[in-house]
Amino acid sequence: MKGRQVKPIIHIENVHKYFAKIHALCGVTLDVQRGEVVVIIGPSGSGKSTLLRCINRLEEYDSGRIVVDGIPLDTAENINTVRREVGMVFQSFNLFAHLTVMDNLVLAQRVVRKRPRGESEKVARGLLEKVGIPDKALAYPIQLSGGQQQRVAIARALAMNPKIMLFDEPTSALDPEMIKEVLDVMLALAQEGMTMVVVSHEMGFARAAANRMLLMDEGLIIEEATPEELFSSTHERTKKFLGKVLH
Amino acid sequence: MEGQPKPRPSGSKIFYIPGGETLLRIDPWWGLVALVIGLIILLIAVSPDPFWNITRFVRDGIVITIFITITAFLFTLVAGMLGGLGRLSQNWFVHGVATLYVEIVRGIPLLVQLLAWYFAFPVIVQQIGQWLHISALAEYQANAIFTAIMGLVVCYGAYMSEIYRAGIQSIPKGQTEAARSLGMTHFQSLRYVILPQAVRVILPPVGNEFVALLKDSSLVSVVAVADLTRRGREFMAVHFNPIEVWAMVALLYLVLTLFSARLVAWVERRTRFER
Ligand SMILES: Nc1ncnc2c1ncn2[C@@H]1O[C@H](COP(=O)(O)OP(=O)(O)O)[C@@H](O)[C@H]1O
Ligand SMILES: [Mg+2]
Repeated sequence: MKGRQVKPIIHIENVHKYFAKIHALCGVTLDVQRGEVVVIIGPSGSGKSTLLRCINRLEEYDSGRIVVDGIPLDTAENINTVRREVGMVFQSFNLFAHLTVMDNLVLAQRVVRKRPRGESEKVARGLLEKVGIPDKALAYPIQLSGGQQQRVAIARALAMNPKIMLFDEPTSALDPEMIKEVLDVMLALAQEGMTMVVVSHEMGFARAAANRMLLMDEGLIIEEATPEELFSSTHERTKKFLGKVLH
Repeated sequence: MEGQPKPRPSGSKIFYIPGGETLLRIDPWWGLVALVIGLIILLIAVSPDPFWNITRFVRDGIVITIFITITAFLFTLVAGMLGGLGRLSQNWFVHGVATLYVEIVRGIPLLVQLLAWYFAFPVIVQQIGQWLHISALAEYQANAIFTAIMGLVVCYGAYMSEIYRAGIQSIPKGQTEAARSLGMTHFQSLRYVILPQAVRVILPPVGNEFVALLKDSSLVSVVAVADLTRRGREFMAVHFNPIEVWAMVALLYLVLTLFSARLVAWVERRTRFER
């Protein structure tokens, strides 16, 4: 892990989030360093998605502070700036259903980054190559397998040249035989030094890529450790949870 | 993810002719349009005395009916978009105004609205003009076609708002979230992601609204607009042949509505499979 003295690229400070009566985040504090890969695990409903969604302000938080790459998430302008720098990959892919794979990758480059079409398409082709589906540029999302859709979704986020990538259970909607192709892409990305915050229960991926793992429960980070430390943890709730995930 | 293309409604099996598959691409209901037009021509040919005279007399009424329908429809598309987006607005004031508009307008009969626009609206404008000493307003004279179109747009815009709202809401939330997470503004995600998908959901009910508007446009005949219906009444008043007049007027409306319905179905099919 990189030195703590370096200014974190994501700084989360005592963030609380309520959904009506539900206290989804109960004072989460977390720093993520540049180039770090953080894997978050935890039972369903523990606030993992909510935390991730707060980082790019898809969810508003009720109190606390989040600063991304030196930009506090307070004004609407700052939020859009941060979103440009933070890529997000969803469990359900969320590819634009009315656009081809190519146009999925090109759209935001054009309207957000204001890149000319030719350049946007070049970036898109390069990324499709990278995620291993160069021949699907003209297909529509519905014509692709789940694994292919998720790889397109990753490429779409990367096309914006994000500094940070957030993954919210990127493989849990996939059939088992497709999980590896997506994890391989993520692993390659981690090895290139991308800052990544990943919610996932793929322990193989965590072991191979994570600098740090976080266990969340009931809206709090209850344990924070390297994969090796976490897997041999003596913490009662951690053991119980890992028991379930690791079978 | 939504958006599974529905299987194409493959004509009807009754019309199936082996080897004639290309012919079947033509919607068999076009036959009905041809049938009604044939009937009109037959009537005119067999007995031109009332029928040709009626047709000639109401001809400019047909033009007015088509003009009013198309003009009102275009403005309705805009009004519905504004109303629909207003209904979905996070801003409580915009949301409130849009909701009030939709709920009030949908609760009042169209005929009453048209009468109010024609008789009451100009008087209100004149009185405001007098209070404010603006002579242009004080001497305001209503143009019958203008107030009729206004009335139709305000009324149909309310129904259209609900169609837009439902269409936009039918697009999964993940689409907006994906767009926003890429840094698109609220407007950009509407413009490039949500509306292009909502259009395909909205199109069938919008098409129905067009046909309904065409028929309801006959109500403007009571507020001094010389549309097809009013011209028919004028002809009847002179020649006292109600059966022939209303048979002819009804057939002419039928041609218009059947034709529009076919057109709407054709547009729907085109947009469903393109992209
Ligand atoms: N949009 C929402 N409206 C209401 N409650 C929500 C919403 N999103 C999440 N929650 C609640 O917040 C808590 C945390 O949810 P979430 O962050 O999705 O958990 P996880 O991703 O760890 O499964 C849960 O109790 C969930 O029911
Ligand atoms: Mg979740």
